[in-house]
Parts: sequence; structure tokens; C-alpha cells
Amino acid sequence: MIRFEHVNFSYDANPNEKILSDVSLEIAGGECVLFTGGSGCGKSTLLRLLNGLIPEFYEGTLSGRITVLGKDISQNGIYDLVGKIGTVFQNPRAQFFNVDTTSELAFGCENLAMPEAEILARIDMTVVDFHIEKLMNRDIFKLSGGEKQKIACASIDVLRPDIILLDEPAANMDYESTSDLRQLIQIWKQEGKTILIAEHRINYVWDIADRVIILDRGMITKNICKNEKNTFTDMMCQKYCLRSLSSVSVLDMVEKEKQGLSNKTKNMTEANLVTNPKLELTDFQYSYGNTEVICIGNMDITENRITAVVGPNGTGKTTFLECLCGVRKNIGKLKFHGKDYDSKARLKEIFMVMQDPNHQLFTESVLEEVLISMPDEDEDKAREILKELDLSEFEERHPMSLSGGQKQRVALACAIASERKILLLDEPTSGLDLTHMLEVASILKKIKEQGRTIIIVTHDSELIEVCCDEIVKLGETKNLAV
Amino acid sequence: MQNILRKRGLLKVEGQKSFLDPRTKLLLIFIEAVIVLATAGGERLVVFKAIFTVLPFLLLVTIRKYKTCLIAGGILLTVMCLEYFVFQNVKGMAEAMLVIVITIVTRFLPAYVTGVFVIQTTKVSEFKAAMEKMHIPDEITIPMCVMFRFFPTVKEENESIRAAMKMRGIGFGGKKASKVVEYRLVPMIACSAKIGEELSAAALTRGLGKSRKRTNICKIGFGICDYLIFVLAAITMIYWILGVIMR
Repeated sequence: MIRFEHVNFSYDANPNEKILSDVSLEIAGGECVLFTGGSGCGKSTLLRLLNGLIPEFYEGTLSGRITVLGKDISQNGIYDLVGKIGTVFQNPRAQFFNVDTTSELAFGCENLAMPEAEILARIDMTVVDFHIEKLMNRDIFKLSGGEKQKIACASIDVLRPDIILLDEPAANMDYESTSDLRQLIQIWKQEGKTILIAEHRINYVWDIADRVIILDRGMITKNICKNEKNTFTDMMCQKYCLRSLSSVSVLDMVEKEKQGLSNKTKNMTEANLVTNPKLELTDFQYSYGNTEVICIGNMDITENRITAVVGPNGTGKTTFLECLCGVRKNIGKLKFHGKDYDSKARLKEIFMVMQDPNHQLFTESVLEEVLISMPDEDEDKAREILKELDLSEFEERHPMSLSGGQKQRVALACAIASERKILLLDEPTSGLDLTHMLEVASILKKIKEQGRTIIIVTHDSELIEVCCDEIVKLGETKNLAV
Repeated sequence: MQNILRKRGLLKVEGQKSFLDPRTKLLLIFIEAVIVLATAGGERLVVFKAIFTVLPFLLLVTIRKYKTCLIAGGILLTVMCLEYFVFQNVKGMAEAMLVIVITIVTRFLPAYVTGVFVIQTTKVSEFKAAMEKMHIPDEITIPMCVMFRFFPTVKEENESIRAAMKMRGIGFGGKKASKVVEYRLVPMIACSAKIGEELSAAALTRGLGKSRKRTNICKIGFGICDYLIFVLAAITMIYWILGVIMR
């Protein structure tokens, strides 16, 4: 069905860097193949070559031969592939052309000028198969990331393609949403579709994949077939720089912690608990209109430690951080170093690194970005901070021209420069591969050693395992089922 | 940030179907602009001007936007009271100020309310279907549809950026006051452009622009209310033109 023969590829934007080098592989009809490897290993490029975005949208130089459905790809324009190959992309916010869900499902078929009755029949079938009745006729902007991704899958399904490509579909999802996504992929598998998945997070698809191909700098380094999969362990994952195979719900981690089963609790000595002062939240509340989103009677967070805040989707984790740092005004007290802080006072004491670092980088150079974060601008000190985070070489670069991981490091540099004692992070490792995740973890540990208190909202169980000292569950909020 | 709004979205049935055809809404916007905003026809059309000032508020009631309706209506009434009771008794600076406020509010508010109604009740695909029926070329329709899609995106981005600036103490009252606008616009443009790029890649793989003729599952058509508005618009126009001829 799909065949790569000695394929080499580089993007025109960076012609010296080979994104794929000498890739040869064959995928049979009905196979489900997982492509994995660190960022920049070429897995997304592989998919772009198949769906026609290369050369239609991204330009580059290709050598070797790729055949899809018996035809050389050079004979297929991007439009010939519509309806034969469907792609689900990474960013749930950026793959919708319509504002309501039903129109979105119809969109692809409408473009192919299918008759109306046919489109409606197809939508009905997909809705039933995917159990998304509840999501129909809704405003897409009011759906969660996981729900948006379901709609994206459904809008591909109505086109009934033979080949389905998924490009890091779970990058921003929590544990519960990934298991929903897994179910949809299984439906496709049962229907005999050929499925190609490019993903860092391999745990949720590991056992449904017929084959796993590991890429490193554009080369296939390992091809694991079905019967070899069982012998592949987490140890080997680390060797190939992959994320963990086992999917752990962060909520289960909280339960374990409570029962004193996790290593963290065991390692924590009594002395530690006593000497470290606490940051206390009392009667901490926030509501949207009449709906109470956050209601915390009492919460203690140990100072000078890294605390993970977890909770199921929709429990207002991000809102909690926004209230905590004072961006959202709310009722409640925060006691820190024996002093009470209200929303306004908190704005000056707490720094927050947002999920999308693009939203908090404003200036024209990395150095300036760090400087404006300082209470008193001091260039030498700023340079020192940048050096510490391996950012020295980017000093003069525009923050927007950096890669995602680098932008996040700049945001962390600003946090350090601000000299604020409390640091909040919102899903800092969503969509990061193992190397980058560990990098973030080690930076956080460094920051902790400088005597800061760090609070992370996350659904990444590996990050918690690697660097968090404590784990707190944000309670299910009341009044949600109005 | 919007976690809870999303959650609430789960429970609320969205997008009440509008009883007006998108083409009628376009006509309505046009009439509002001519009669109320530009006050064409002057004294002779004063009755019609009154009708078209009230009409948008009634439309808001039909889609149960009571709060917006009350606030906007309240502002309009207050300003009208000012016009009739206070205006004659003031002079000089106060008079000039009042003229500005009265003109802006009485002219722009009804048009704005119409805009709110149209945006709230029109689905992108309805709009597209209407434009197709009027034989407007895709080159004009598609960019306009993308705009519909982009307003909420820009709003979301804007909110996040505003929060980030507040957190870092950058604002008119804080650090770098002179650069606030730049700091706000740069990330917004960068983020929107990135989303736009990803969006067009996704749309391409789903065949946008593949065939000249596309279908549309959205059904639009005229009903009684549409015809009522047509008649009203026609009467207004005829009465106005008669006035111009007979002068």
C-alpha cells in the first residue's frame, strides 16, 4: 500500500539538514504502524510526504521513490489524495475551518461536492460509530482539547479514507483523553484502515500498533514487529530516548501517595516535613458567573519544593494557577512567610509560565526579554541566567524565531530573573520528547535549589516521577452539573 | 483557562436556530446603516428611523440575549432622555460634548446591536450558502468565512496575552508603559499567523478549493419573517424615493 525506497529529504528552509536519510520501508494495507523518536527525528516529515503537504505546502528536495496506493507520489497532487488519505494534526485549535461541529464534519465532503443526502448519511454513521452524539451542533471553541481532537478524527472519518495519518494527535492530552483517542484508532483498525501514527507518547497506542518504527535523525534505527513488542521494555525506551511505555494516570498516583505506597512518601523523612514551612491557602474560591469553579477550604503546599497539582479535565487547573498568581481576582487568602497576600500582592510575588510560551514573549531579543523581567535591569546578571539555561548563543535572537523548547527555556529564564519566590507552571512538558522533558525537570530542580517554591499543573506522570516532591489533587468542583 | 466554559458548553444546547435568512440579515445591516447610521432621508423618514432603531432590540429578545438587550436599551434610553430634557438647557463646552455623545449613541448603537444579532445567529456555512445563492465569487466569500473563524481565535489569544502581561507587571500603570501596544501586538500577530498556517494546511488536506462547485448541507430559505422585513424595507425605500422626487 505504501512503499518508501531510499528516500532522502531536506526542507528548502534548511537545505543542509537531512530530515530523512535513506529511508526504505513498506507498509501493507490494514497495518497500524507507530513512528516514534525524539523531536526532529523526521516522523512528521514522513507523514507530510504522504498526504501531499510536501511539496504543496512545505517545499524541499526529495530523492528516492515513494509509492502510495500503487502510484508514485509525484503523480498525485494534494487534491487527488483527499478522500483517500486523511490526516489528524497535532494542534486541536488549528484544524477547524468552521465554528460549529456539524458543519465541520461536513466540510471535507462539501469540498468534494458530494450530494447532500450522502453527506448527511455519512455524518450520521460516523456520529454513531464514534459515540459523539453529544458533541454535535456545538460551538467548537467551547470544546476541550480532547473533544476537539475527537471532532478532528470524525471529520476525517466521514471522508472514508483508506489511509489515516495521525501527527502527534495526543501531544496536549491528558490520560483520560488519550484513552478515548485510542478507542477511535481501534475502530479504524477494525475497519481495516491503514493507520500511521507519529507520536512521542507511545504508551496509549503501543499495544494496538502492529509495528513500531523508531527513527533517529532521519534514519530508521529500529523496526519492532508484533512479536518483538513484548520483549521491548522501558529500559530500552530510555536507550532510544522514548517516553515510557506504561501509561499511568496521575490520579492513581495521588491514591498511591495517600496509601504511602509510592517511593516519594517513603523517601521523605519526618525531619524534612517539619523544617519546611508551608504556603497556606484558605477559603480559596473562584467562580464564573454562578458556577463555582474552585473551592478550596484548606490547602498546604510545602515551600521550597516542587509540587504537582493534578486533577481530571475541567476541574479548573489552569484557572487555579491564574487565581494563584493574581491574574484572576478571587476570594481567598494565601499565607506565605507569615504574611497574607491578596490577588494584587500576589501578582508581584508569583511568576507563571504558561502552557503556550508564545503568549508571554513580547520583546525583540532574548536578552531584552530577560531584562524586562528583572526588578532592576542588570545585563551581567541576565547574561549569567541565560548561560545557566544554555541560551547564551540565542541572546540576540528574536524569541519568536526559537523552537518550542527554547521558548519555554526563555520563559523559565524570565521566571528566574524576576526573583519572585513562587513559580507556577502550566503543563510544561505537554508535547515534549524524553530529552526535552528531562531538561525541563533538571532546570526546575536547579530553580528549587535557589530557594524557590514550584507548583506545576501537569498530566505527565513521568515528569512527576522525575522531579516532583509532592502531589496534590485538585478536588472535583461542585455545582458543575447545573 | 476556558476549561469551565467548555464544561458548561457541554450542558447548554448551543446555536439556537435563527428565524431569519442570512440574506435578510445582510439587507437589515444595509438598511440600518442607511436609515439609522447615516440618517438618510432626514425628517421625512423619522418614523422609519424610529422603527429601525427599535427593531434590533426586538431581534435580541428573540435570541434571548436579555442582558445585552437591557444594557444597550438602557444606554439608548438614557441618551435620548438627555437629548430631550437636558440638551436645551446647556451651552458651550457641555453642549458640544453632549452633541457628540448623542450622535454617536443614537446612530451607532442600533447598528451595533444588529451586528451582535447577526454574528450570534449566523453559522459560517449558512453565510457561505447565502453568498453562493447570491452568486458572489469564492474569492470574496472564503476570506470572509475565515474571518468568522478567526474572531474567536484572536479573542482567545488576546486574553492569554493580556494575562501574561499582567503577571509580568507590564501595563499602562507599570513597567514599559510606552511599549505596551507593541508588546501586545507582536505575540498576537505571531500566534495568529501560526494558527493560520496550520489551519490552511489542514484545510488543504481536506480538499478546500478542490472543485469549483461545492455542496453545502446547510439549508437556507425565506420565511414569513423574512418577507415582513422585505416589505418594511421596500416601503421605507419607496417612501424615501417619493420624497426625493416630489421635492
